[in-house]
Amino acid sequence: MRRATKFLRRRWSIFQRTPLGGLFGLFVGRMFHGGAEAGSESLGMGVGVLFILLAMPGLLASLLMLEEYGSLIRYMRGDGVFDPFVAALPDEYFFIVLSMFVTGVATLWRWDSLFLDRRDYMNLVPLPVSSGNIFWANFCAIVALAGCFTFVVNAVSVILFPAAVVGSQDSFLLLLRFAAGHGVAVFMASAFSFWFVFAAAGLLLVALPPAMFRRISLVARFGIAIVLLAQLGSVFTVSRFVLDPSHYRAALLPPFSFLGLARTVWGRGGEPLVAGSTKAALASLGVVILVSLGAYTLSFRKAFIRIPETPDAGPLPRAKVSFSVPGFLSTALLTPPQRACYKFVAKTLLRSEEHLQVLMGFMAVGAVAAASVLASPPGIKPVLSGDTPSVEFLSVPLILSYCLVIGIRFAFEMPVDLRANWIFRISLEHRWTEAREVSRRVLLVFSLSWLAPTCFLLTLLFWGWVAALLHTAIFILCTVALVELSLFKFRKIPFTCAYPPFKSHSGVIALGYLFGFFVFTTYISQMEYWSLLSAWRTIWFVPLFLAVVLGLRAHRKQMLDMDKQLVFEDLSATGF
Amino acid sequence: MLEARGLSKSYGSVPAVRNISFCLKSGQVLGYLGPNGSGKSTTVKMLIGLLEPSQGQVLYGGQDIHTDLAAYRKCLGYVPEEANLYPYLTGEEYLEMVAMLRAMPEVRKRKTIRSLLQLFSLWTHRHVTLGSYSKGMRQRIILIAALMDNPDVLILDEPLSGLDVTSALIIKNLIQALSARRKTIFYCSHILEVVEKVCSHLIILRKGQVIAQGPITEVREQIGNSSLEGVFLQLVEERDVSQVANEIVDVVVSA
Repeated sequence: MRRATKFLRRRWSIFQRTPLGGLFGLFVGRMFHGGAEAGSESLGMGVGVLFILLAMPGLLASLLMLEEYGSLIRYMRGDGVFDPFVAALPDEYFFIVLSMFVTGVATLWRWDSLFLDRRDYMNLVPLPVSSGNIFWANFCAIVALAGCFTFVVNAVSVILFPAAVVGSQDSFLLLLRFAAGHGVAVFMASAFSFWFVFAAAGLLLVALPPAMFRRISLVARFGIAIVLLAQLGSVFTVSRFVLDPSHYRAALLPPFSFLGLARTVWGRGGEPLVAGSTKAALASLGVVILVSLGAYTLSFRKAFIRIPETPDAGPLPRAKVSFSVPGFLSTALLTPPQRACYKFVAKTLLRSEEHLQVLMGFMAVGAVAAASVLASPPGIKPVLSGDTPSVEFLSVPLILSYCLVIGIRFAFEMPVDLRANWIFRISLEHRWTEAREVSRRVLLVFSLSWLAPTCFLLTLLFWGWVAALLHTAIFILCTVALVELSLFKFRKIPFTCAYPPFKSHSGVIALGYLFGFFVFTTYISQMEYWSLLSAWRTIWFVPLFLAVVLGLRAHRKQMLDMDKQLVFEDLSATGF
Repeated sequence: MLEARGLSKSYGSVPAVRNISFCLKSGQVLGYLGPNGSGKSTTVKMLIGLLEPSQGQVLYGGQDIHTDLAAYRKCLGYVPEEANLYPYLTGEEYLEMVAMLRAMPEVRKRKTIRSLLQLFSLWTHRHVTLGSYSKGMRQRIILIAALMDNPDVLILDEPLSGLDVTSALIIKNLIQALSARRKTIFYCSHILEVVEKVCSHLIILRKGQVIAQGPITEVREQIGNSSLEGVFLQLVEERDVSQVANEIVDVVVSA
């Protein structure tokens, strides 16, 4: 064993010294650490942190299931004969969806660093390295990345989940069979997810001119994120169907096919739909890999070899969307520096690729959450009928507003090329305390400017003037309060400050976001429903709103001046 | 009048500059020379108020700049060593942002930006994002940003970096013209010929300390060397540059 390890290590060391090996190491490094320029402040993280993040969902889900299949729990539930290959089907489906989701999101995150770019061309092509070496080295790095993602995402669940389900059966063979089925299904599902995203990126790169690719790829990523989130959001609804062969439509979903693969390995290939879905899983994985290979080859020829013939795409093409209402800047923003900062922040949000990605990620979560809330009663009809707007309908604008405000607020913390912030440093001094005003207006304009009119019009359409006015007014009050809360202690010009220490306790922040989401979207919509049953009750929202806003204002007044001053390096204990 | 009095700055226990003093009057152009790591950038950062000196002070009009930094910066135009700009803003948008940050009146802002973009041959590229600009074009945008509010003090850190021959000639003449209009100019550079041509006074820095200071002609006479290059090599370089060059060739050829 030791000899084999030594041999492999020596071969690896020799390989690393070859041009192909050197390039492979370079491309793997780029894919894991990102392709950002030195000095730029991308949300980079070490490989260790990345692996922990990828493995965490599988670990948590497996731990949660340790109790579910315990013999005592089953006895107390009154379960009869326990067939692990049937009882675990819904959870197996959940794991397949989860592994597809995590791998898909991770691949979307690395979307830009998968393909060779202009910088690779400028650095490598002048060297005496054949383009074949570059082609294969990058391809090997992509395969290594796919293997890494697939392994890390599923490694924990492949051990823990089978142990949880059949650990009490006292049969090692049964455990092995279950683990093999589960492992094959989740590994294949992860690989499918990776290669699907890769194929989509490759095809877009082949089909579109460089400038257009950058714009469209954002939309494509948003679309894929929506699909992945929708799949995850519907997992508990769809997983009920896996035990019922009459729901043959569910078999069209990719995770369902991979479940068939697991069932085949478990020896249940003769059950209805299983053989078909297994074939579908294998065929779809094969097709996706073949398309990826083709797209990669074509993109290498089109987008890499021809780089000198194509102009540098530069930054993302300018968005045609504008959030500057005529006269708004001069009336709502009193001083010229406020106007300058507002324009800077709005343009950065609309044009910086990294920030748009984050914003779209939050919007995708909002869109899927809103869709699932609307779809929760049987059909859309009950949501849009009745004397007063339903709780589901009332919660939709709150969900969208929450995701948008928190998404923008999160993006505010992500710096854009810190080296360029010198212009703010030399133009504004620390005593300038209007940064929060600017951020507040950006948040309000980006959320209320389109959500409030849409909310008003839709409520007017189904429930008339009174409900529309009251609902919109409450929605505006809640959004303003949310904006105030999100900007509590905020004292920077967005995007110009180094990452705050929230990076070190991001878990707590994420829990805070989640808790806030439930409070904001669930309790407020229920309270609003109650108040809309009798219009005068809506008055309760006014003192509540005033309590939040005035409370925050009073607290800010008590803060020391130095805690309100503009900062470009956040050294405070908390990010929010 | 811009004055530095006993400026010193240390990063932890490492001194970056030590006891620098000079007095720059209206119409004077001070050339600030020194090899890499000699403390030029640290001095510039202290002069524009980004760094507070560990000792000493920077005075403008007889007043410490930190007593009213905003008023001082209103009179200041700054060209940084590297043209770090936001790549997704267009040239015109960037200049408008700077003008607003400097609270320039709307009419003057538009007129000045338009005229300067035309004079710096950037008018046709005004709607192009800065990420697509060449290095020289970005440098010209930075120069416009520094000049457009008619500052009394100009701090230029390698302003000719990346500029083509014509643009560089324009800037050299521009500095002389601004000097004639009583502007105070602090010129930090590595290009000795340009310093020799545009500067009236000179400071040579080595390891954070001033080793020569005064009007250029005076420094040359003191050192007994007719060219600024000769003065610089004599004062700063410890090695024989031609010998180093020959050694490099030997290594490359024999390898």
